[in-house]
Formats: sequence, structure tokens, C-alpha cells
Amino acid sequence: MTGEAVGFWCLSALLIGSALAVVLTKNLFHAVLWLALALTGTAGIFLLLDAEFLAAVQLLLYAGGIVTVMVFAIVVTEKLVGERLSQTSRRIAGGAVASGLLAWLIVSAVMERPLATTRMPMADDLTQEIGETVLTRFVLPFELLAVLMLAGLMSAIYFARPEE
Amino acid sequence: MMTGDGSLALAALLLHALGFLTLAIVAPLRRLGRPAAYVSIACAVGSLVSAVLAWQQHMGGAVSRRVWEWLPAQGQTLATVGILADSDSTVMLSLVALVACLVQVYSLSYLSDEPAPSFGRYYTYQSLFAFSMMGLVLAPNLAQLFICWELVGLSSYLLIGFWYRKPEAARAAVKAFWITKAGDVGLLIGIVLLWRQSGTFDLTEMRVLVESGALPVAGLSIITFCLYLGAAGKSAQFPMHIWLPDAMEGPTPVSALIHAATMVTAGVYLLLRTEWLFALTPDVLLIVAWIGAFTALLAAVLACVQDDIKRVLAYSTVSQLGYMMTAIGAGFASAGFFHLLTHGLFKALLFLGAGAVIHAVHSNDLPHMGGLAKRMPQTAIVFLVGTLSLAGIPLFGGFLSKEEILGAVWAGGLVGPFLLLMLVAFLTAFYMFRVVFLAFFGTPPAHPHHGAHPHDPPAAMALPLWILAGLSMAVGIYFTFTHPETEFTSPGWLMPTAVGTAVAGILLAWLTYERQVINAGRLAAAFGPIRYAAINRFWIDDIFEGIYNAVLLGFSRVVGWLDRYIVDGVLNVVSSWTLTSGDDLRTLQTGRVQDYVYGVAVGLLILLLWARWALA
Amino acid sequence: MGLQAYLTLAAIVFSIGLFGVVTRRNTIGILLGIELMLNSVNINLVAFSRFSGDVTGMIFTVFTICITVVEAALGLAIVILLFRVRRTVTADHLDLLKG
Repeated sequence: MTGEAVGFWCLSALLIGSALAVVLTKNLFHAVLWLALALTGTAGIFLLLDAEFLAAVQLLLYAGGIVTVMVFAIVVTEKLVGERLSQTSRRIAGGAVASGLLAWLIVSAVMERPLATTRMPMADDLTQEIGETVLTRFVLPFELLAVLMLAGLMSAIYFARPEE
Repeated sequence: MMTGDGSLALAALLLHALGFLTLAIVAPLRRLGRPAAYVSIACAVGSLVSAVLAWQQHMGGAVSRRVWEWLPAQGQTLATVGILADSDSTVMLSLVALVACLVQVYSLSYLSDEPAPSFGRYYTYQSLFAFSMMGLVLAPNLAQLFICWELVGLSSYLLIGFWYRKPEAARAAVKAFWITKAGDVGLLIGIVLLWRQSGTFDLTEMRVLVESGALPVAGLSIITFCLYLGAAGKSAQFPMHIWLPDAMEGPTPVSALIHAATMVTAGVYLLLRTEWLFALTPDVLLIVAWIGAFTALLAAVLACVQDDIKRVLAYSTVSQLGYMMTAIGAGFASAGFFHLLTHGLFKALLFLGAGAVIHAVHSNDLPHMGGLAKRMPQTAIVFLVGTLSLAGIPLFGGFLSKEEILGAVWAGGLVGPFLLLMLVAFLTAFYMFRVVFLAFFGTPPAHPHHGAHPHDPPAAMALPLWILAGLSMAVGIYFTFTHPETEFTSPGWLMPTAVGTAVAGILLAWLTYERQVINAGRLAAAFGPIRYAAINRFWIDDIFEGIYNAVLLGFSRVVGWLDRYIVDGVLNVVSSWTLTSGDDLRTLQTGRVQDYVYGVAVGLLILLLWARWALA
Repeated sequence: MGLQAYLTLAAIVFSIGLFGVVTRRNTIGILLGIELMLNSVNINLVAFSRFSGDVTGMIFTVFTICITVVEAALGLAIVILLFRVRRTVTADHLDLLKG
């Protein structure tokens, strides 16, 4: 068993376990925390795939930013002192069947195909590679992304403005 | 055969059309009443003049034919409209024009009590009838004949049911329509089958085919029988005679026009027009003759027990129509046609005379009449002229035509019908003179009905009476001295026997009703069961009514049930399914985002499954 | 571990996320499920990128992460707004479009 394989299995177990916890926990706050763990697990997977920059971005933005915003949203909307309703609805069976079937379909499709088992050579410093390519080949989407983020920021401020 | 120009005949036809259209379209004129009548009468007089002139033109055998294309079809014209004027059709045209004109003049006085709008309506219908009847008479092909046939039936319905607020009149109109319609179905089938056989509707073309032997004879009997059914319906042959007595609910002038001289003779006229076709099917002609003779006898028996003067005349018409049909059945349609013409004159005369009596006495019933000869001498004279014509006495109108029929039947070798017709001659004289003696002679009733003061009719009613009486006598005298050529020779004993039978009938009536030598009651009792059956009209009406109720109404109920529960039911079920499935489908729209996401996921799954199995 | 393993992992996480979206009653819970699904997509992208030697996939991932951040922010803003207007964040109660 190579180190990479061990790492993969551990991180997979972490990821899948925390993902299940996210969707099954009754307490919403706990679910957010489990999500943070799942996102960290994903960052680990990125590291396994030699994408250090992405792992860093993942941790910064996802595990750091989004989780924080979600916590705030929960605090604002949930009457923490009040009701703790059952968090799951009636469609558990249907949902389980649908998602299970979907997973099985995709996995069986993936298993049939002879996919690559060895990694192709890539540049050593992927961060530099990414940086260069973004600002040369993909500079237009990059700029548009900036515009999008600005628009999103303004909308979010507008939606959540204080009531008059 | 000279070919003439048919414009006079056409003018006769179109003048009545003009009258009808004017009155139908210009409603204010119609509602004025008397002016509408004058318009109609003016057209009628003009039509009469044209008709007589046309007759003069075609008397010698000239034939005019003017047709216009109506229904084009691939290759040749399917149907045409127009006129076919020859000696037969123009003389019939003149009869129709004459009686129509006289009846319209008579109605000016007879219906003077009618409110103005009804009066106008009456004349509109009269014009329509005259136009349709002329269209029928002049029809060059069977398609136009059928259309005019139906129009005549419609006008008859409208006129019988003229006083539509009276339930009996409305019922009688419907009954007439139904019965003649049953016959008309046969006629239509016959016409279509004939077209299939010969390839044309046109009478002239068909005659050429028949006379050159090109028409296949196979299956022709059915065709002619179907045509006869139509004629039997209109001409009140047994068992389709029941509508005619009931049709007396209409105004008397209508009865004179339609149910004496013109419409009912349409059947006889049809058989005359197609006699060259019927000549190919002698078996059908035999049926025609026997039914004709039987009808004549049946109607004569029924006439003997009637107390309503118009009903006596109605049954008398049925009887005489039977006479004409028997002659046709014997193969000598010209004899039947001759009787048709003379009968038209004196039967119209009798009806109009009866109308004068009814107008004076305010009742149709014989017991309310009596001794009218003293108070209405003119009417008595013309009525007597008519009766003597009907009885077939020499010097009077019907004498020779009746002779001819008897001679024709004998020459055709139909002994049975001949004997029946002889008996009928006796009965005819008897029942007609019964009416004469009961109404015009004898003692007046003790209490006059409705305080009536009988008197001779006013000028508008009297003039047609005298004209018809005069014509009847003229025809009678002329034909007593000039025997027309016939296709057959009557045996020498025929004329004396016929006249003798008639005189015997008159004698019996005189003895019973005038001299009272024979007690009427005991005479009646002698024929007990027959009399009883006759009073019940041999229950034929009841049989028809029973069939109508059971079969027709029963069938209607079944069809109604099918319509309501199956046809409507299917539609209602489909529509309710639509509604319920709509309601059910609506529950899919929960408004919740999660459910929609679930839907998307399911759809995606289905696609993937399909991609995996169907395409892989 | 070959590409298959990573793709399988991503598929499983995706379906878990889908289950969460469909099942959770709280709106924020639904958003959590969506985050899981987006994460699995990112894993897919990076795996493909690594095993085919093309850096484009990773760049794509950068973009998706950024867009996801925007989407999360907006989504939560809407949730807060909904809470203010309707006093509830239970997804079952947000059914004004019910037909």
C-alpha cells in the first residue's frame, strides 16, 4: 500500500463520514461544523492530487469563509432558544432511493471504462502555472468573475439591508 | 310532332312563384290581408290565361321542352330544372290554374272573418301550393318532380293546419305529412334506383331508352313498385288513405283545391307520366288495379256512414282516386287521366258547394241541415249538378269518364276489379244522394244551429260555383255527344249497365231518405257488423297509431337512452377524467423547491437509466 | 489510486449532497447539501486535470470556488430576507407557488 493510497482511504473515510453527518444530524449547528470538517477533507484530497494552491484556496474560502457566513445566518434566523424541529422531512425513503440509485449508476459507469491509472506529468510548481495561465489564457473569465463577484456583493448587501 | 315554345307554360308557372315570393318577402303587404289576396288572385288569373293558351298551343300534340342545367356532374349534367309541356301536362296545368284561381276568389268571401295577417298568410300558402303543383306537372325530370312533390306536401301541411291553434287541425296536418312522407320514401328510393338503372333523371331520355328497348328490365318491378308507393301515399290508396278524411280540418276551399282536384291527383299524374315504364311491369300494374278497386270499395262503404258532409266528400275522393288507379292498373292510363280531369271539376264544385252550406248553417253535420233547397236555391242547383256528375249520369260531367274507366278495366281483362267498381258506382250514387236528400230536401231541423239563417252565398263564393257547374255541364254535354277515340272498345252492354247501377243507387237513396218508404234505421241494421266496423273506420287508424306508438316512439326511446347514457355518457366520462386527472396532476405543484429538485433528480435518473440500457 | 477511485469518491459525495438537498427541512440545511455537491464537482475537476496533465481543470476549479462563494453569500442573504418577511426558514412553509 503506497502512502498515497493510505492517505486516500483515510481522507475518503473522513469526507464521506462527515458528509453523511452533515445531512443526517438533527442539530443544524452541528451540521455546519461537520460541513467544515468535510471541506477540510476535500482540501486534503486536493493535496493528494498535487494541487496545493487549490487546497489553500479551499481552506481559506470554503472552510473559513462560507462556514463563518453560515454560522451567522443560523444565528440570525434560528430561534436558538426556541423550537428544535425535526430536521428531516417525509421524503427520506424517496431521497435515499434516488441518491443511492444515482450513486450506483455513476459508479458503475465509471467502473466500466478503462480510465487512467497513472498520472500524467505536470509542471512542478502548479501554483505558478495556474497563476500564469489565468492571467494570460483565461484573463477574460477572470475579469468577468471579478464583475460577478462585485454584483454578488452588492446584491447580498441589498438583500440583507436593515429594514426601513 | 311539332316543337313549340314553352314560354306560356313557363309564364303560368312563374306567375304563381312571383305571387308567392312577393307575399313571402314583403311582410307588410302580407299582413294587410285583402291587398295580399288581390296580388295573389291577380297572379292566379294571369297564370290561368297563360295555362289555357299553352294548352291550346299543345293540344294537337306539340311538345315544348325547356331545361336549364342545375346540378353539373362529371361528363353530363346530373339534374336539370325546367318545363316539359305536352298535351297531357298543359291540360293538367289548366285544371290546376283554373281550380286554384277559383278557390282563391272563393276564399275572399269564405274566409272573410279571418284577421288580416292570417288572411295574408293563407294566400301566401295558396300561391306556394299553386307554384309547386305546376312545377310538378311541368317537371321534365324526376328530380324536379320529387322536389315539387315535397313542396306540395309542405303546402298541404301548411294549409291543412292553417288554423293551427285548433289541436285537431294541427294533428291532422302532421298526420297527412307523416303518411305521405312514408310514401315519399318509396318514391325517392324508386327514383334513385331508376337513375341507377337508366343513368338519367330526365323523362324524355328515359322514354327513348324504354321505347328502344335499351333499358334493362331486370329489377324494374321493384322500381315501379317504389314509385307506386309514393303515388299511393299522395293519392290516398289503401292503407295510406287515412290522412285524407282528417285533412278536412282545413278550410273548405283548401279541401276543394288540394284534396279534390290537385294534390291528391299528383299520384295518378305520376303514374300517367311514367306509364310507358309501368307498361314493362304488368305484375305491378295488377297490384295497382286491385288496390285501387279495393280502395274504391272501402271508401265508398265508409262514406255511407258519415254524418259530416265534408267527410262524405273526402271518402268520395278516395273512392274516385281508386277508380283512376284501377284504370291505370288495367293499362289504360288515359282513361284514368280523363276521369282525373272531370273529377277535378265536379269534386271541386261539390266541395265549394258544401262550403257554401257550411258557411250558411255554421256546421258540418248533416243532422243540422235539412230543407236547404228552399232557402239556398242556387247552391242546391250547383250541388245537384256536381252530384249527378259524380254519379255518372249522361249529360253530366263524370258520365263518360266513368264509362271509360269501366270499359278500360273490362278491356284489361280484370273482372274482379270490374265487379268491385260496379258495386262502388251503386254506392257512390247512393251516398251522394243521401247527402242531397238529407241536406237539401226534407224538413229543416227544429232548432237552427247557432241561430243560423241559411241563404245563398255572396258573389265571391257564388261565381266560382257557377263557373264550375257550367264547365261540368259543358264537358258532360260535349262528351255525351262526341265520343273521343279510345284504345279499346267497350262492350255494348257496358253503358246501360253503368247508368242503370247509378240510377238504382239514386232510387234507393230517394226511397230511404226522401220518401221514407224504407226505414233508414232498419236499412242500417241490415248491415250491422259492416256498419259498426265502418263507423270505426275499420280500425285502420288505430292500427297505424298503435304502430306509431309502439315502433316509432319505442325506437325513439331506445335511441334517446343510447344518446343520453352512452354517447353523452362517454363524453361526460372523458371530461370528468380530464378534470380529475387535472386535479391529480395539480398536486405535483407543491410550490416547494425541494420537491422540484427531487423531480429533477428523478428525471435525471430516468435519463441515465435509459442511456445505460437502451443505448449501451 | 487511479482516476476511478477519485471519481467514485466524488460520485458518492454528490449523491449524499443530493440526499441532503431533498431531505432537509431547514433552508440552510439545503444550502449545506448544495455545498457538498459543489465540492464533489471540484474533486472531479481536479482529478481529471491531474490525470490528463492539463492545468485547465484546476483553473476551472478556482473559478467554481469563487462563484460558489458568491452563491453562498447571496443564498444566505435571501434566507435572512425570507426570515424577516415570513418569520420562517422551514422550506415546507415556503410554498406560495403552490398550484
